[in-house]
Amino acid sequence: MKRTVLLVAAICCGSVLTPVAALAHHSFAAEFDHDAKVKLTGIVTKVEWMNPHARFYVDVKDANGKVVNWNFELASPNVLMRQGWTRHSLKAGDKVTVEGFRARAAPHVGSARTVMLPNGKTVFAIAPPSK
Amino acid sequence: MRAFYSVLALFLGCAAFAAPANAQWPPYPSPNVPRTSDGKPDLHGPVPRTAAGHPDLSGIWMNEPGASGAAGPGQPPPKPVKPPPGQPPRATFFDIGANIPDGAPLRPWAKALKEKRMAAHDKDNPDAHCLPLGYMQFHLHPQPRKIIQTPQEILIIYESNYGLRQIFTDGRSLPNNDPEPWWYGYSVGHWDGDTLVVKSNHFRDGGWLDVHGSPLTDQATITERYRRPDFGHLLIDVTIDDPKAYTKPFTVRVKQRIMLNTNLIEFICNENEQSSKYYVK
Repeated sequence: MKRTVLLVAAICCGSVLTPVAALAHHSFAAEFDHDAKVKLTGIVTKVEWMNPHARFYVDVKDANGKVVNWNFELASPNVLMRQGWTRHSLKAGDKVTVEGFRARAAPHVGSARTVMLPNGKTVFAIAPPSK
Repeated sequence: MRAFYSVLALFLGCAAFAAPANAQWPPYPSPNVPRTSDGKPDLHGPVPRTAAGHPDLSGIWMNEPGASGAAGPGQPPPKPVKPPPGQPPRATFFDIGANIPDGAPLRPWAKALKEKRMAAHDKDNPDAHCLPLGYMQFHLHPQPRKIIQTPQEILIIYESNYGLRQIFTDGRSLPNNDPEPWWYGYSVGHWDGDTLVVKSNHFRDGGWLDVHGSPLTDQATITERYRRPDFGHLLIDVTIDDPKAYTKPFTVRVKQRIMLNTNLIEFICNENEQSSKYYVK
């Protein structure tokens, strides 16, 4: 119950996306695999604040030290703005830890569920996806 | 899971009040809003009316909670919700028949087509390729829509994918000159008491009514009955009469709520559409 109340508070403050809002353009499963969770830390190289989905790109070092650029999908800017985010919420150079889900058909593409800055602030959090 | 949907419902309830601070235009007060004694908007206040005495449906409208029908990760769809006595079952964003016992009355070929579309994870939904949304997706999309009512016609601008419908209320009939089929069909409306009755036909064949691809064919007539029972609420009963795809007509309900002090936000779908490159093949 306590957790629910906290979630409710977070939602009303505009910090969590609804699954429907996040998926309004296409079904989650058309692109992503909800069984393939991913958690990565890296440096934001670019933010595309555009429809139908905002995107950001992150340079991540793999196990061999090779840098790979990941492409993470978010909800539309419209939905994000109504929840309090702006085009300035995340910027190139930010160090972030991203949790989300991998794409089914592309190796370095993902749906971001939460984006955490080094100060612990969460940006663009997303609720669990639909099927 | 139940808690999750409670949270979702509450978010949708909060959105009307959260929106003004974050939209692109600075907040600008909606005119003529009835107030309670403590100064808050009175959503149960009187219905605005036009000079002709009809209810004025103009405004920006969002979904009432409970319209999604989204399943949790790896979960089956939510169980159907039985409507209150005398009310049609509610349609959901994902499936027009979600709350109809045994689902919408699909003909065998239409049932097979819907199952095929769902098996492909709905990736061929026109919306997923920046093409127009289906009727029920427009009605139930989490992004809002604006109704502009004039004596001669009513326009509905759907923020999602910038959908636009024109509903003529100037007395004309639906076209019978073999018109070009349209994504949104052709719509005329008339007042039945305080209910706006809209009939639409001449749709393109092969349509998707919802995210899961409930079919809509070129033989369909859609009747929508719009009712604004008070200041803050809109009820739309939608009857699908499509004998090519369904064994009988059926009716579902859409519930919407007014959004105040805000406006639509531009949405250009093809601005940076990349998702389709990564859809499952």
